[in-house]
Amino acid sequence: MSEATSDNNSVLLVHAYLDGELDAANALGIAQRMSAEPALAAEGERVSALKTLIHERLPRESAPPGLHARIEASIGGVRSQRARPSWRALAASIALTAVVASSSTWIIFGPQPENTVADSLVSDHIRSLMASEPTDVASSDRHTVKPWFNGRIPESPRVVDLAKVDFPLVGGRLDVIGQTPVPTLVYRHAKHLISLTEIPAESHIELARMPRTINGYNLVHWTENGVSYWAISDLALPQLEQFAQLFRTNPAEL
Amino acid sequence: MLRLAASGFRDPMSGLDDNARFASVVMPHIDDAYRLAHWLTGSRTDAEDVVQDASLRAFRAIRGFAGGSARAWVLSIVRNTAYSWLHKNRPAAVVTVDDLEAVELAQANPGDPDAPTPEATLIAKADAEHLRAAIAALPPPFRETLVLRDIEGLDYREIAEATEVPIGTVMSRLARARRRLIATIEGEAS
Repeated sequence: MSEATSDNNSVLLVHAYLDGELDAANALGIAQRMSAEPALAAEGERVSALKTLIHERLPRESAPPGLHARIEASIGGVRSQRARPSWRALAASIALTAVVASSSTWIIFGPQPENTVADSLVSDHIRSLMASEPTDVASSDRHTVKPWFNGRIPESPRVVDLAKVDFPLVGGRLDVIGQTPVPTLVYRHAKHLISLTEIPAESHIELARMPRTINGYNLVHWTENGVSYWAISDLALPQLEQFAQLFRTNPAEL
Repeated sequence: MLRLAASGFRDPMSGLDDNARFASVVMPHIDDAYRLAHWLTGSRTDAEDVVQDASLRAFRAIRGFAGGSARAWVLSIVRNTAYSWLHKNRPAAVVTVDDLEAVELAQANPGDPDAPTPEATLIAKADAEHLRAAIAALPPPFRETLVLRDIEGLDYREIAEATEVPIGTVMSRLARARRRLIATIEGEAS
């Protein structure tokens, strides 16, 4: 047993020697043993051949184009420190999320501190940007998007067609706050994606205390007819507010 | 106090510093992260998802990076993220280390120098596709060790950090991984 262990250790030393991990004394020791013991020499040759093979046949693949930019965009704020146009463009293609909520059937929101809601929505927003699709249902047709929510949540959200004013609908998805699913619509403005979410307004959120920016994403929040609406985006605040205004003033799809 | 703050004593807890740290600690290793995730998940799409998720984890944990090898730190997060992802999405693919070590112990001593051995010249003839498939077929603990050493070029100490095992374990896993690869290549060549 001890002999086998000793042999095994020798094998490990041969690998370590070929990996350049041994100090001079140990390297000399194992090199001498390899020249004296054919089994160890053969191990060394095979391992060298394998290392060469891997090195020559398996070129190191780079990350796909755009991955760096997506990571930097998802981290948020990194882009403000370094001026690389390529990721500015990509960071700009991010989304605007608005949250819409309705009725009292969803119970979870009362005790939620409002920053938790905001943080959660920003996280959902970031996650959606990292997914291959920012939506669960991808359609520019509000007649497709609105019914999609039926059966998934108690009430489908208010859907407004804003394509004519340069905020076309991209689709919708369900986000989760606490343990409650909430509907999120995703709109787009130029290269920017826009998401819009609804939450029950019973949590008495004080607007003055609402963060306007989390992790580099702007937030616009308003309440209407017992429903709390949230918009989240890296769009400039004035544009986000314009979006909110258009959403409030245009007629909803019934 | 204000003068101190203005003259370079920036609050290390500020978001700006986190972003700067992330840019210097994590971003240089995204290619390495992607390759490791690709080897562990077997899919480019999954690798991208894993790297993005791992990046967010790294960002949240960036203040916990206490120096040392940034690459090993980043890759350890990628690795853990990849295994969580596999556990959730492909539970059948996850072999626990305990199972694996038991199997290894039950088998012949992997360090047995008297085992039948292929010629080094045979190994050199293997093509890239078979080599890739043979690596992909290694059990995860062996695969990650081999990939980190022979493709990513980490040293043993970094691999030990990234895979959270002692250096002795790194060494035995690496030797076993290479022997399995060599045996597979020989099997295909003969």
